[in-house]
Amino acid sequence: MKPENPLLALLALTAGVLFLSPVLYSIWMSFQTADAYYTGKLDFTLSNYEMAIGQYNFARYLLNSVIVSGLVTIVGLAVATMAAFAFARYRFPGGNLMFGAVVATLMIPSHITLIPNYLTLANAGLLDTYAGLILPAISNGFAAFFLRQYIRGIPRALDEAAYMDGATPLQVLWRVIVPIAKPAILSMGLYIFITEWNNYIWPLVAVGREDLYTLQIGLARLYRIDPGEGVINWPLVMAASTITILPVLLGFIFVERHLVRGIMMGAVK
Amino acid sequence: MLRRLTPYLFALPLLSFIAVFTYIPILQSLNLSFREWDFLSPTKPFVGLDNYRLLLDSREFWNALTVTSIFAVISVPLRLLLALFIASRLLRETLVSRLMRGALFLPSVTSTVAIAVVFSWVFSTDYGMMNALLTGLGFSKVAWLQEPQLALGVLIFVNTWKQLGYDIIIYIAGLQAIPGELYDAAAVDGGKRGHVFRRVTVPLVMPTTYFLLMISVIEAFQVFTIVDVMTGGGPAGATDMLVNMLYRVGFTLFDIGLGSALAVLLFIFLIALAIFKARVLGRKVHYEA
Repeated sequence: MKPENPLLALLALTAGVLFLSPVLYSIWMSFQTADAYYTGKLDFTLSNYEMAIGQYNFARYLLNSVIVSGLVTIVGLAVATMAAFAFARYRFPGGNLMFGAVVATLMIPSHITLIPNYLTLANAGLLDTYAGLILPAISNGFAAFFLRQYIRGIPRALDEAAYMDGATPLQVLWRVIVPIAKPAILSMGLYIFITEWNNYIWPLVAVGREDLYTLQIGLARLYRIDPGEGVINWPLVMAASTITILPVLLGFIFVERHLVRGIMMGAVK
Repeated sequence: MLRRLTPYLFALPLLSFIAVFTYIPILQSLNLSFREWDFLSPTKPFVGLDNYRLLLDSREFWNALTVTSIFAVISVPLRLLLALFIASRLLRETLVSRLMRGALFLPSVTSTVAIAVVFSWVFSTDYGMMNALLTGLGFSKVAWLQEPQLALGVLIFVNTWKQLGYDIIIYIAGLQAIPGELYDAAAVDGGKRGHVFRRVTVPLVMPTTYFLLMISVIEAFQVFTIVDVMTGGGPAGATDMLVNMLYRVGFTLFDIGLGSALAVLLFIFLIALAIFKARVLGRKVHYEA
């Protein structure tokens, strides 16, 4: 990396902080007491977090978000990787048609499925369950497409060597393909996890029970419904908002390059 | 026998999920859009095109279509222009440019609900950051989210703030793919900076622009979360978007037939756009010799 013009660096840094200032300030505000905030004084406190976690059940929402996003990611990746392997390594009757059907889902706006999926899960008795939150989010056409392209770039000779040693297709996938495709699989995992973590409309539709709220639903409810006497307790709301943002924010700092590369690769499809 | 079944077995889980939660629902939506149903009654009588007629006769639908179109027409070009301008300044691999990319990209992976909540505070009349700034400069407070046109403007601003970083990253990828020799050639010919930008950069980055244009239009027509959290479609329907109307009709009024008809119309429109995108991209993408 080249050395910087210090003035330019300072200017850019200021612009970046200014750009993010609403979020940065909201985090700062979450550590202020409501009284101090409304009167313009400074009074550092953790009470907003205690309140969000205790009185308003945000620990539970956090757990729900982790369970739902985690399972969607793990199962979604497994399902997508297996299909990608089939489409990358086999020529079979109907294969192209099936692959086409998978790719076509990239163009289908998800809202057309909102009402029918609600009805399907209602009929199956799965509304207000984790399964109801998770199942409709499992299939990820983009991940399958992306991984298929990646697997096609892996030399077939590696598969064949393993088959010679008597490996089954599942073993080839697990022992040969997955280790090599790990960077691509990780990128897709991040992408799926973040998308699901931030999902709002489906949990809004599929869950009415308070103890199954994800963070997104809990936060929206707290902001829209809590005020009671008409005045919003902004520091409390910002503590809840910070809990909602933080896991992705921390993860982002560690994996930013990975994620950006994944998105760039996706764009050149 | 088993050998021939192998690929099907690998593809089966994904295909079943797609069938159950994507393809069959499309047919279900189509079917339900020709019926009258409130989710509870035991029968779903066939009513032909009544739901579509009802929809096209309602002011609510035309209002939502207009508002969504305005949202798209303003926010999409705004995003692309800003993104191209900023991306062309962040091409070098320096620490500062990497930090800036990170800062700009962060909102696009952050929770939309949290962003909507934070900006509801920024633009709140009594305690918000914007009005604190305005009163500090000697102006009077503005009711950002209570004035119809201002509220739509705020939503466009917040959406742009959130999505800009994604557009920038894609543009950087597109710009980096332009061969350096072309710039050298332009420099040899004595091209001025603005001139080179218009005559070399803009045309060569066109495939990226088409890509971003189509996905951001499709995205704009599906906007829901920031509207639901920040304005709920108000004041007086001034920010009521198509998907917000779909949610209201389907899940608050439980008019399944009308909601499905709206979903089908939105679907047809967005699929048409997506096919158009595939066609256009297919043709314009190949600029490298």
